[in-house]
Amino acid sequence: MRVLRGLPGWALGLVGLAGLAALLEVVPRSGLVQAKYLPPFSTLVRALGQQVGTRGFWSALGHTLLAWAIGLAIAVAAGAAVGLLLGSVRFLHAATASTVEFLRPIPSVALIPLAVLLYNVRIQSTLLLVVYASFWQVLLQVLAGVSDVDPVARQTARSYRLGPWARLRYLVWPTALPYLLTGIRLAAAVALILAVTAELVIGSPGLGHEIALAQSSGESAVPVLYALVLVTGLVGVAVNAVFRVGERALLPWHPSMRAPV
Amino acid sequence: MRVLRRALALLGLPVLLLATWWAASAQSTNVYYPPLRTILRTFRHVWFSDRLRNDVLPSVLRLLGGYALAAVLGIAIGVLIGESRTVRGVVEPVLEFLRAIPPPVLVPVLILLAGIGDTMKVLVITSGCIWPVLLNTAAGVRATDQVLADTAECYRVRGPARLRYLVLPAASPQIMTGLRQALSIGIILMVISELFAANNGLGYAVVQFQRGFDIPEMWSGIFMLGLLGLALAGLFALAERWILGWYHGQRRASRSR
Amino acid sequence: MGDLLEVRHLRKAYAGRRTVEAIGDLDFTVPQGELLCVIGPSGAGKTTLLRCVAGLLPPTSGEVRLAGQPVTGPPAGMAVVFQEYGRSLFPWLSVRRNVALPLRHLPRDRRDALVSQALAAVGLSDVDDAYPWQLSGGMQQRVAIARAVAYEPSVLLMDEPFAAVDAQTRAELEDLVRSLWARLGVTIMFITHDIDEAVYLGQRVLVLSRAPTSILEDIRIDLPAQRDQLGTRGSAEFTALRGHLYEQIQRAKRGG
Repeated sequence: MRVLRGLPGWALGLVGLAGLAALLEVVPRSGLVQAKYLPPFSTLVRALGQQVGTRGFWSALGHTLLAWAIGLAIAVAAGAAVGLLLGSVRFLHAATASTVEFLRPIPSVALIPLAVLLYNVRIQSTLLLVVYASFWQVLLQVLAGVSDVDPVARQTARSYRLGPWARLRYLVWPTALPYLLTGIRLAAAVALILAVTAELVIGSPGLGHEIALAQSSGESAVPVLYALVLVTGLVGVAVNAVFRVGERALLPWHPSMRAPV
Repeated sequence: MRVLRRALALLGLPVLLLATWWAASAQSTNVYYPPLRTILRTFRHVWFSDRLRNDVLPSVLRLLGGYALAAVLGIAIGVLIGESRTVRGVVEPVLEFLRAIPPPVLVPVLILLAGIGDTMKVLVITSGCIWPVLLNTAAGVRATDQVLADTAECYRVRGPARLRYLVLPAASPQIMTGLRQALSIGIILMVISELFAANNGLGYAVVQFQRGFDIPEMWSGIFMLGLLGLALAGLFALAERWILGWYHGQRRASRSR
Repeated sequence: MGDLLEVRHLRKAYAGRRTVEAIGDLDFTVPQGELLCVIGPSGAGKTTLLRCVAGLLPPTSGEVRLAGQPVTGPPAGMAVVFQEYGRSLFPWLSVRRNVALPLRHLPRDRRDALVSQALAAVGLSDVDDAYPWQLSGGMQQRVAIARAVAYEPSVLLMDEPFAAVDAQTRAELEDLVRSLWARLGVTIMFITHDIDEAVYLGQRVLVLSRAPTSILEDIRIDLPAQRDQLGTRGSAEFTALRGHLYEQIQRAKRGG
């Protein structure tokens, strides 16, 4: 532990990742878990290399990313618009609060049967789930952002008799923007998860569907299964990283972006 | 008069939406969107029966098991990460990667490792619920007020006492946020875990209805899921109000100042 | 009475792109039972000094000793009252439990007795079930003081405790500190930027220089032991002392 303390952040991270890979290599080989259930890390990497060479893999990846991007865009636009509207007009917020609370816990998976019935295995069924789940992420964050407007600033705006549009532009928008960006980042992660989940369960084209196929193809496809799971994780990490960088680039002034002392 | 207005605000829109749905679907002959009246009648017929014990109960038990496990592990690991920069540095990329794997994608993996019984389902739920708890706990622990920490240090409040009187209470608002998010995720995973290799459960029942084209029953199942989510959210809100009474009081006091 | 607190050639430098020497050389002792005030211009490292004495910050060189033992971490028998009272009290505990927390190792009867006495001493007996955030700023600082008193420390460190409190409350709290000090005989190191407060409270005042901090002057306050806000502050000796201190502070600000 003491040895690790002096190392810089990125070195520590590498230690952790290397440790995980080592664990994944050793555990199956030692017989703790049978190799046919958990292939060693080296086998996984080899299977991944093979996959990357096939056209089917890239087509599946493309489908997933397409559904993700479209669904996210719709959810963000709708969530931001509804959130700003509800947050700014107090009467609307009060009237819709209970409905939001009721609909919010309804899990998106409840819509899976509906999606199947309506769209079968087309990409729209994926989109239905992605938009539904991501919308809530954005909406809740925007609502939190709007309600976080500094009361002193709000009173100052009122005493200067700023109209609703000016208030939105100078008061609400800057306060809600960091929240909106956080919401987008969270929604991006949720959207990806739902996209892959929908493909897995419903069978619409994408990485999730490939995973389901690998699972039903028996023992020989187990490394491929794990390789695809690995890819899903990496895509998720990449998406998160891209959005976090974007957030930092857009909001360098925000206190949450300052490095911890 | 105020009570009336509050009741109106609370129930107004939902009642309006339900009424609209009732009216709009009353004459529906569309197989996929049966009349609301039919759905409600089917609801009573389907769920107020043995199904409650045979399907809903096992699902809820698995949910609670997975949720509890995720809470314990998430808080424990979250505290470790929040307290030590070294631990955080080592573990963070690994967690970042694991977190990015959608739990449903882990289901095939978990089936390989844990079979197709209740253990697998509980693990699926845990694998998704743990993340918001862990991340929020770590963030909450990191944000412990420095002056408070110094005070505890000066009065020699260390070790387990420090955890009990300083770290956990200070992080509890954020931990509760994480637990709240984990609840929604848990319900979703409860259903997903039953889509693959199950022979009972709420999610299992809904999918059976869908596959058998029992549309009103399927809709009633979706309703049931919504009600379950609502009930759990309500229970959680009660628990949260009790546990974080001090926090809400403090925020009210500082707002009125 | 021996020296309870010894600060021997204390030096504190922060390494960074440029080494910042917060404290250059501080060397002084505090005899048991003394009420010492430490004053200095902004940036004079007063808080750094307090943190080193409290064991929260390791010195770069030199040492601090409490009753002959070197201080390497927060020592037993030392209590600290911080300036930010709102952040030093646990918001999830009632007043009573806040005061009782440092005493959790004691048997219940003794603990309850100490807590009740301390709360009575600061005049807060009837709010012991309240939460800190339900109280005013002055009352919150009283709770912090009660907590320190109940702990029965041999040394009490106070870091500009009344800087964030309104003037009237400050006067009451100053008198409270003096009466507690007289009653309990505890050694107090009181950091402040308020010259009047330093003269009114202290038996002795240390004037610190600007960074790198050292002792500019060590003045004995020979005002009578019985002091009151009106009479003492109006006396000629008080005025002379505060005038002298004011000059010293100006000199310190100029870097003399």
